[in-house]
Amino acid sequence: MVVMRVRSDILRTYQNIHTWTGILSGLLLFIGFYAGSLTMFQQQIDQWATPPAQHLPMVEHDQMQLLVDKVLAEHPNAANAMTLHLDGSKSPITWYEQGEPRELSLNDVLWHATLDDSNQLVAEQIPANALSAMIDYLHRSAGILGELGHDHVGVYLLGIASVLYFIALISGVIFLLPTLVKSFFALRTKKGANRFWLDSHNLVGIGSLPFHLMIAFTVVVFAFHDFFYGGLKVLIYGDQPMFPRLAPSEIAYQLDDMPSIETILDEALSYDASYQPVQIDLQGLNGQRPLVGVQMASETAMMRGPITDYIMLNPYTFDIYGSSFRTNEDGLWERMVATFFAMHFGSFGGDLGRWLYFFMGLAGAFLFYSGNLLWLEKRRNKTQQQQSSAVTIMAKLTVGVSLGSIAGVVLCLAATKWLVPLSLNINHAYMWLYYTSFLVGIAFAFGFRPIVAAVHLQRIIAVLCLAIPLTSLVGWVMPQLGPWPSIDAASLGVDFTSLIFAALFWWGATKTQARGNNGEPNSIWAR
Amino acid sequence: MAVAEKKKIQPQWWRKSLIATFGGLLLSYGLVGIFAWFGPGGIDANAKVQFNMWMITPIWLTILSFSFMFSTWRSALVYLGGANLIVFSSFIGLKWLL
Repeated sequence: MVVMRVRSDILRTYQNIHTWTGILSGLLLFIGFYAGSLTMFQQQIDQWATPPAQHLPMVEHDQMQLLVDKVLAEHPNAANAMTLHLDGSKSPITWYEQGEPRELSLNDVLWHATLDDSNQLVAEQIPANALSAMIDYLHRSAGILGELGHDHVGVYLLGIASVLYFIALISGVIFLLPTLVKSFFALRTKKGANRFWLDSHNLVGIGSLPFHLMIAFTVVVFAFHDFFYGGLKVLIYGDQPMFPRLAPSEIAYQLDDMPSIETILDEALSYDASYQPVQIDLQGLNGQRPLVGVQMASETAMMRGPITDYIMLNPYTFDIYGSSFRTNEDGLWERMVATFFAMHFGSFGGDLGRWLYFFMGLAGAFLFYSGNLLWLEKRRNKTQQQQSSAVTIMAKLTVGVSLGSIAGVVLCLAATKWLVPLSLNINHAYMWLYYTSFLVGIAFAFGFRPIVAAVHLQRIIAVLCLAIPLTSLVGWVMPQLGPWPSIDAASLGVDFTSLIFAALFWWGATKTQARGNNGEPNSIWAR
Repeated sequence: MAVAEKKKIQPQWWRKSLIATFGGLLLSYGLVGIFAWFGPGGIDANAKVQFNMWMITPIWLTILSFSFMFSTWRSALVYLGGANLIVFSSFIGLKWLL
């Protein structure tokens, strides 16, 4: 058998590095990963959380222009920023009465517009539901509150955790090298629980190593890009401008001169007709810096955004401000950068790619959870039940933080269809529900033995997961209670996936309980 | 005996981490800088600055990860410092020449 020889002092060094980088970053990354998996289906979760009455019907393709004209005539403010949804996943046109897209803000109110049967404008103000935005915020910041500069403190902390995570990956591979061949495909279920955890930790880590290296490095870039650009300016670019900007036009454009939506789409598609237009963002239509962003999806490309590539143009002159899918010389570097984004977002290969990333993200969360368990098992005192406080606290944190956070998200999902019909700000309710569950989860883990907390929290999560499809069922049977049924494929998918997770968590609770009852008596998992 | 002892890796975590963090970051800026000015497309290719910014991190983290192989913090300082000296003098030399 091929055995890789590595000097023993190198092995020892990197084993230490792996242990410390892993234990310091593991819990933050756990939240980042499982929430990141959920963000793969942000659109579906949004659709599931939107009652049919708040999703205005799509207009015929050739009536979009009429709708745009009517919106601009009756709501001139919409010319500052409005969005056309071409794929029917949302109301045909939306714009913000207050608030900004792409920020977790809890008080946003969004205008929705469509045409009725006699082509009259229907426009309604609807409070924006932040469920999927909140999951995305958890994903990016691990839920750590506070602002620093112009980003969340949690985003920078996850950036630092990802530096450690990258080092943990490299060091893990180095100290596994000598036994890699022997232990990679071995999943020793008979040699005791510890062996099993170690083997599966190694299997997941090595098996998805390229994915993890990509995620680790992209997160560092996402967190610290401002800082890196600053360094480039000082050390490398000097007087050379980094972002040459098109000078604002001398002309103040007027809405009346704007080309039709159809013409704009044709212009965007002229760069690559294999794409499907999904969304059009219009900004500052009256003035010197008008902007149209066309978001376009492809099943085969590596896309810059989670759902789409983009092109940003001046809607009057078609000058290009930027694009992520042109393959000509002007678009080359943006195309290269788009592939980095795609490898973080899993935005290639359509829904198959999304499911793959969903599972790899969950496998990543498992990697950190199992890593913590291995650390605990190795450091605990094998001869007595009393354990050092470091081991006990880490055990409680591992259980409380991980399961408490999951319980919070699942509770928000389970409560959604009950809370939306009530006249309260649901986004404030989400924040309360999430943080309360998270803190109760941690308190529970510190108040009881870790095994008790682990078993009960998993059972609570299982029940909450089950409540998600049950609520949709209530919507079928007793709609007068408030909840609405799931009718489209995306919403049914959310319900079905929750059902699977209900079964998985219940099974997990049963296995954990069995280990508590029958496992080693001095283990921290003993009853 | 003494020689073998000397070659073994000394932990020196803090000093090595600090040297590798800053020395490695500076070195990746230097490498990216050469690529930015003298690599394909030159310094003013459209949006190349974004790609350059993206390349800093993978180079930096790779250097950082492998820097713990240096047997002492002194050798980390000497090698990373030397590499920085070579890379940045090449960068400045090239800019002066071209």
